[in-house]
Amino acid sequence: MALKYWDVYEPDARAPWDLRRVVHLHRRAAFAAPWGTLQSDLKAGPEASVKRLLDGTRDAHSPADFAATAGVLADAAATAGDINRLKAAWFYRMLFGPDPVGERLTLAWHDHFATGYAKVRNVQSMRRQNELFRSHARARFAPLLNALVRDPALLEYLDAPANRKGHPNENLARELMELFTLGTGHYTEADVKEAARCLTGWGVEEGTFAESAPRHDSGAKTVLGKTGKWTGADLVDLLLKQPSTAERLVAKLVKTFFGEGACPPDAAKELAAGLRDHELDIGWAVLTVLRSRLFFADANLRTRVTAPPEFVAGAARALGLFDPAPSTLALADWSARMGQDLFDPPNVGGWPGGRAWVTSRALIARANYAAALVDGPNAGRSVAYEPNTAAKAAGFGTARTDVLVYHSRLLFGTDPPAALTGRLGKLDGRPLVTALLSSPEAQLG
Amino acid sequence: MLTRRSLLKSAPLLSLAPTVPAFLMRTARAAGPKPDARALVVVQLDGGNDALNTVVPFADPDYAKLRPKLKLDPKGLVKLNDAVGLHPALKPLDKLWAGGRLAVLPGVGYPNPNRSHFESMAIWHTARFDNEEARTSPGWIGRALDAGGGESCVVAPDAPRAVRGRRASIVTLTRAEDLLLSDPVVVRAAVGAPTKEGDLLAFVRRQAADATAGAEQVAAKARNKSDAEYPATGLGQKLQLVARMLKAGFLTRVYYTSQSGYDTHAQQGFAHRQLLDEFAGAVSAFFADLAAAKLDDRVALVAFSEFGRTIKENGSLGTDHGTAGCVFVAGGGVKGGVRGTQPSLTVLVGGEPEMTTDFRAVYSAVLTDWLTLPADGLGGTVAPVKLFG
Repeated sequence: MALKYWDVYEPDARAPWDLRRVVHLHRRAAFAAPWGTLQSDLKAGPEASVKRLLDGTRDAHSPADFAATAGVLADAAATAGDINRLKAAWFYRMLFGPDPVGERLTLAWHDHFATGYAKVRNVQSMRRQNELFRSHARARFAPLLNALVRDPALLEYLDAPANRKGHPNENLARELMELFTLGTGHYTEADVKEAARCLTGWGVEEGTFAESAPRHDSGAKTVLGKTGKWTGADLVDLLLKQPSTAERLVAKLVKTFFGEGACPPDAAKELAAGLRDHELDIGWAVLTVLRSRLFFADANLRTRVTAPPEFVAGAARALGLFDPAPSTLALADWSARMGQDLFDPPNVGGWPGGRAWVTSRALIARANYAAALVDGPNAGRSVAYEPNTAAKAAGFGTARTDVLVYHSRLLFGTDPPAALTGRLGKLDGRPLVTALLSSPEAQLG
Repeated sequence: MLTRRSLLKSAPLLSLAPTVPAFLMRTARAAGPKPDARALVVVQLDGGNDALNTVVPFADPDYAKLRPKLKLDPKGLVKLNDAVGLHPALKPLDKLWAGGRLAVLPGVGYPNPNRSHFESMAIWHTARFDNEEARTSPGWIGRALDAGGGESCVVAPDAPRAVRGRRASIVTLTRAEDLLLSDPVVVRAAVGAPTKEGDLLAFVRRQAADATAGAEQVAAKARNKSDAEYPATGLGQKLQLVARMLKAGFLTRVYYTSQSGYDTHAQQGFAHRQLLDEFAGAVSAFFADLAAAKLDDRVALVAFSEFGRTIKENGSLGTDHGTAGCVFVAGGGVKGGVRGTQPSLTVLVGGEPEMTTDFRAVYSAVLTDWLTLPADGLGGTVAPVKLFG
């Protein structure tokens, strides 16, 4: 099937491959990048830059022992039973990992299959679920969904172990249809009741998925008009075949990679059709999106409110704060203060996102984080950021204007807008960078 | 001594000129004609509170039949009359009840109840019954504040749809420190003056200008600490923060907070008792604190949940998503008593009771009779239930 809305972006006079679009690609898909990476991608062109990002095998600043360290950090968090250390281990991946796009998708799946530690109370389970999101981040949706409906953390969160023959508990069945696959309007209350019967007998034993035949209701059920002695596995297969499942997945990808109104409804519909043709291959959809003209269109530049982890990890990555790096425990706490506490979504519906991120509390937290990151100690960094040194290393002068231009290009991909220059007045050095990161402009990406 | 009014008109406020943001403009305006404006505190009980074990129809023989294992012993209940009693954990509310300052409304809901947490909560938030509309339209409080002026303050990480309006901006916080800027001078420069454009950047700028001004206000006022005793619970701390703002002279019209955990599908006995214990302890401490500060006549508190739970207990000693629920309204201006009718446990629709009071009748009373704000945003005309003296 030819895609009308998703042709490949090729630079031209109207949409040139300039620093603005390089910054856009990294900020939108990969938590932002330091100056060196921006410059090399500017030279390499869009095709090579997107390919390298999607390969997810190298990032200029990833330490050689990255995979081992990331594993040790998560193990230690699970052993200690400390959810805050697990949050920190995730921020370590966002900050240093070779696959930032994979981490963005891992965040998107955490939002899609939102599971809260507050109820699960098991760090090891949350860790395993997080690894599932990561290893299936770009897989087909069928294995991801099948893994998730058998994931102990999710099952506990949605009371699946209580769901048994003669005593159905609808929680998992309802969210499976409403949130994970179909979306409301595509099933009835009767479907929910019948789906709950299909899932009877699914539970958790000693921390792993277990299916109990005696607890399973093996009678005939009618779900979405189809009757049979369906099991939980049959139900999942049935839901995967429904056209609305692809639409819901596309909505999630649009929330992840597009700004307000930047993806027309018809384009989303077309992508959903393509996703169905490609057996719900998320990797195909992500590739299609990131290579598209639509992704690089003017309407998609700086029209999305960055989510807290993107702002937190993004600011540190853009400024190149890798050695010494800020404390990842502190980063996780700052993200929570901005409204996204990892492993603790507001409810099974996930985080609302978009303009809902822009609350007073969140904006103050963002400004305070900017100051903390630049000054050091309150972000767990022993030294302060040196704006003049950074500008010089990038080949700029150290006069106030040079430092302003360098940081503006680094963060926005453009020279500072006149209005912003005016507002910043005589601010210089660290306060200047704090102000740039605190500006309304810096909250969009 | 500084009064709220003179404090608001004092120099620090004016020194923000020429870019006095909307947050302070509205507050300053409100300080003029109505220095003693009333406030509303909404407590959202998240997850669907089991109304049948909260406001218990102990005299109805069907109650014990529906709840063979989860039924509460009538002896332990806080009796409201010879048919209905409150869960024993609500004992701390006894004082408000005895003082005639607690209204208990059973069977509050809406036609054709929806049993999805999100959709039912969206309906309660917006008073819109069409799915699409409930998901996207402004909230009932947001609309009223759009029309009548005033701001809301959310004591939670996220602003719920109920308080979102088209223009009305919202202050959110969980700790007073959350509203203090570490470097106000730098941030004020970065944010600049709000503009009128309708695009996303202008929206962020308006919110940022409000946030900056709010931070200045808190810095000036939050030093006024509360000495009152509160339980060390989540809701206790949240209501203490609300009381601190009320006592500091904030003229915020609506405070909104929540207590989560009411989605009791399994083993609910212990959990539900703890939830109600936290609720009653926090509300009772809150009104004791306000009474000591002579502010209790200015404040009404409304507690609701997105639905009640199935009247029949399930096989895992819990209850599933039900329909109509119970609402509490407390405060110095409240006319106490049981308002409305306990729903029948035998005349059922889809296995669940029918609502006896439309939630919009409660909203209508709160908006018109308490806050004196327009209630047209509720859509249609719903006569207010008599709640205020």
